[in-house]
Amino acid sequence: MSENSTNVLEVRNLCKYFPIKAGLFSRVVGHVHAVEDVSFTLKRGTTMGLVGESGCGKTTVGKTLLNLTPKTSGDVIFNGNVQLDKLSRKQLREFRPKIQIIFQDPYASLSPRLPVGEIIGEAVREHNIVPENELDAYVSRIMKSCGLFDYQKDRYPHEFSGGQRQRICIARAIALNPDFIVCDEPVSALDVSIQAQIINLLEDLQKEFNLTYLFISHDLSVVQHISDTVGVMYLGNMVEFADKKEIFANPLHPYTKALFSAIPVPDPTVKMNRIILEGSIPSPANPPSGCKFHTRCKDCRGVCSQKVPKVMDMGNGHTVACHIYDPESGYDKEEA
Amino acid sequence: MSDINKINNTEQNEQEQMSLDDGRRVKVLSPGMMVFKRFIRNRLAIVGICILVFMFTFSFLGGVISPYRQDQVFYKVDSANKEYAGAVVNTDYRFTTVDGKPLSTMVRATFNSQVKGKEGDAITFTADKTAYTALKIDDGFYVITSGEELGSVTMLGKIVDVKAAEGKEISAELKAAATAAAAAGQESFELDGTAYTLTKDMGKSYKLSGMGEVALASMLNFDAADPQYSVLAAGYEFRKNCEAAMHAGQTTFTADGTEYSLEILSETDATIRDASGTELANVSNIIVNPVTSGVVLPASYKDAVVEAILAKKTSFEYVNAEGNTEKHTIQMRSNNYIISTEQQTYLIDMYSPPSAEHPLGTDDHGMDVLTRLMYGGRISLMVGFIVMILENIIGIIVGGISGYFGGWVDTLLMRFVDLFNSIPYYPMMIIAGAIMDSFEVNPYLRLYMMMAIMGIMGWTGVARVVRGQILSLREQDFMVATEATGIKVSRRIFRHLVPNVMPLLIVQATMGLGGIILAEATLSFLGLGIKYPLASWGTIINSSSNIYVMTNCWYLWIPAGLLIVLTVLGFNFVGDGLRDAFDPKMKR
Repeated sequence: MSENSTNVLEVRNLCKYFPIKAGLFSRVVGHVHAVEDVSFTLKRGTTMGLVGESGCGKTTVGKTLLNLTPKTSGDVIFNGNVQLDKLSRKQLREFRPKIQIIFQDPYASLSPRLPVGEIIGEAVREHNIVPENELDAYVSRIMKSCGLFDYQKDRYPHEFSGGQRQRICIARAIALNPDFIVCDEPVSALDVSIQAQIINLLEDLQKEFNLTYLFISHDLSVVQHISDTVGVMYLGNMVEFADKKEIFANPLHPYTKALFSAIPVPDPTVKMNRIILEGSIPSPANPPSGCKFHTRCKDCRGVCSQKVPKVMDMGNGHTVACHIYDPESGYDKEEA
Repeated sequence: MSDINKINNTEQNEQEQMSLDDGRRVKVLSPGMMVFKRFIRNRLAIVGICILVFMFTFSFLGGVISPYRQDQVFYKVDSANKEYAGAVVNTDYRFTTVDGKPLSTMVRATFNSQVKGKEGDAITFTADKTAYTALKIDDGFYVITSGEELGSVTMLGKIVDVKAAEGKEISAELKAAATAAAAAGQESFELDGTAYTLTKDMGKSYKLSGMGEVALASMLNFDAADPQYSVLAAGYEFRKNCEAAMHAGQTTFTADGTEYSLEILSETDATIRDASGTELANVSNIIVNPVTSGVVLPASYKDAVVEAILAKKTSFEYVNAEGNTEKHTIQMRSNNYIISTEQQTYLIDMYSPPSAEHPLGTDDHGMDVLTRLMYGGRISLMVGFIVMILENIIGIIVGGISGYFGGWVDTLLMRFVDLFNSIPYYPMMIIAGAIMDSFEVNPYLRLYMMMAIMGIMGWTGVARVVRGQILSLREQDFMVATEATGIKVSRRIFRHLVPNVMPLLIVQATMGLGGIILAEATLSFLGLGIKYPLASWGTIINSSSNIYVMTNCWYLWIPAGLLIVLTVLGFNFVGDGLRDAFDPKMKR
């Protein structure tokens, strides 16, 4: 296991289909294409933002990466050579501390019958991260760095507010000394002032522990603030991936453009040029043919409904999956 | 820079918090403590707890304090008009033999048949190839004599040879008389007032028989005044002379050289005394017998009965051996007199109403109801708890496996649960009860068997609840988090799943206890559950399942019913209280 590999995470052609069962004998009648052909790499110490509409498969990507739901196909490689699905049960358990997840709902992600100190320290003891006699001090230190207080150790989750609970969740993840954390919409359940605190905490911890984040969110301003790179997902596909500055300055995919046009600008004098998407997101069980976005795309042409777009590298690590940018696709701008 | 800032920030924060000092003022309560706090604020739950504490004290301590055992049967002393003795005027002949041996049945029967309707001094009859002659001395008084072979007389010309039969002696005078009679050709002769006969046997040989007294036939009965005189009173000569004197109206008679005085009360009743005036025996034709075998009636009592009967009284008083006066009544029934008396008898104290000794009376077995209720409570509560624990152990294991592993294991186990659920409970228990009845299973073993069967029949509910709860908990984020943090499976189950299932289980179990107690009471009421000498509240109610007891002995079934109702109510209150207390949506 090379700790110093620059790429903490490499994802290649990740797919996750959920079977749809029906009938008396639970026959599989179809699949929900939750994640389809997603690839990206994540450098150590950076944050990747993953954005998209509700139900586009962001959370599934996060859970599939950590093998909390088994993937259908593709490769997920940590630290250059670790593939979770190839590990034995014991090895997987031992590798778990390296990769952590922070859940969206801080109310459901803490066991209501354990005191906070126990929640944070439990896995630390399990993996012998610090000697037994230093555990207490270690938990106190972690709690302090997450903005919690020592005396709250014996309290139970129900005695905390949402923001405090999210700090507990973060502390639980941080305590295991991970390389990589999936932040699955960690702030969407919190109010804005608390969101800022949590985001700042995450940033501070990233600097302190040299963490790598996959930051899943539907809140573009948060993603803009925290991310180094941004991936945009639509109906299980990653349609665009680029550096934050690049993508926000120059979004290429029509969906990304539409999405980014929705970012509110705190200036009443600026006229917003919003792109309104027609219709609703199609069913992932029965995705549209060709480019999945063609049913709602204003630049849709005949080719879009027939051919699946190739992922085009536009330079600078900016990739986009759209026929517009593929000269060989036969996309005709003039076509009505 | 940012690190320092952060630390500063944190310290500032901390100081702020500490200066407000509310963080540490709030008392930290564990979920368990909070549940307890919520629970004790629930009035109904407290009522329930009080009821249950009372029940447990009543059952488990009550049995220790109670002065009675659970199967102690109580008796009461009651006077009952019971037949005590019977008296009959004797119309049959009784026989007293010379040698004290009983007279053969044949002889007696023949005599009885011959004597009827015969007027005359002597009756001759033959029985057992022997000739008997009954000489009538007075009405109802015969002396039976019989020809007894004494020897043989053989005549050879002039020589007469007299040979004694085996075991007999022939005196010289008799020999001479017999020789003379034989020579004279007489068939009978008399010597010293005794008649002898010579019966031709064969040729010139004769059988010599002497007429000897064999027995007395009389209708009178001799009762010795005291057991020590019984031999005397049974003596042949004594009886013969006494009776002869009675018939002759004499007041004294002699037997075996002793003189006795006779006090004649009537023709058929007399008292015999010796010279010093001590009562030796009673003579009467009335026979008094006790109704119960084994009871010996004293002669004085018999005397009193005879006197009363002769005087034609319908009741008399008798001073018994303890010096108490008993009142006896005489009833004529056909030829018999029935003497009954108010007697002190030990009776099983059934259905006795509440008293200081038995605050809730006694039941149909004469056992103290309060004590039975205490011991019955032990059984009822114990059955409840053991069955509940059994149900929960099986239910948690099956439901836990089903819920945690899911998939085909879940499907299989749940179909198994369905199978169990479709077995009809009461018919099953009734069959099991009947089988145990027919094998006459020991009541303790029966109790254990019943608990086992009830447990095995009842776990499905628990299994379903546990499975459902675990299925839903398994998908919760905190369970996913335990996987993400790489916590061991055993720890995941016991530290995270089980504590979250427990509250529901505790509530379920508490509510279920009432049901189990009811089921046990029902089975016991039907006579299929607990058996004597063990008690349970159900069996106590069962003992009042007839209309007489229902209407007259409220103290038998109302307390037991009340205890069942209260206990079930108590468990339900506590269960409700626990459910509310465990409900996190409740305010503290």
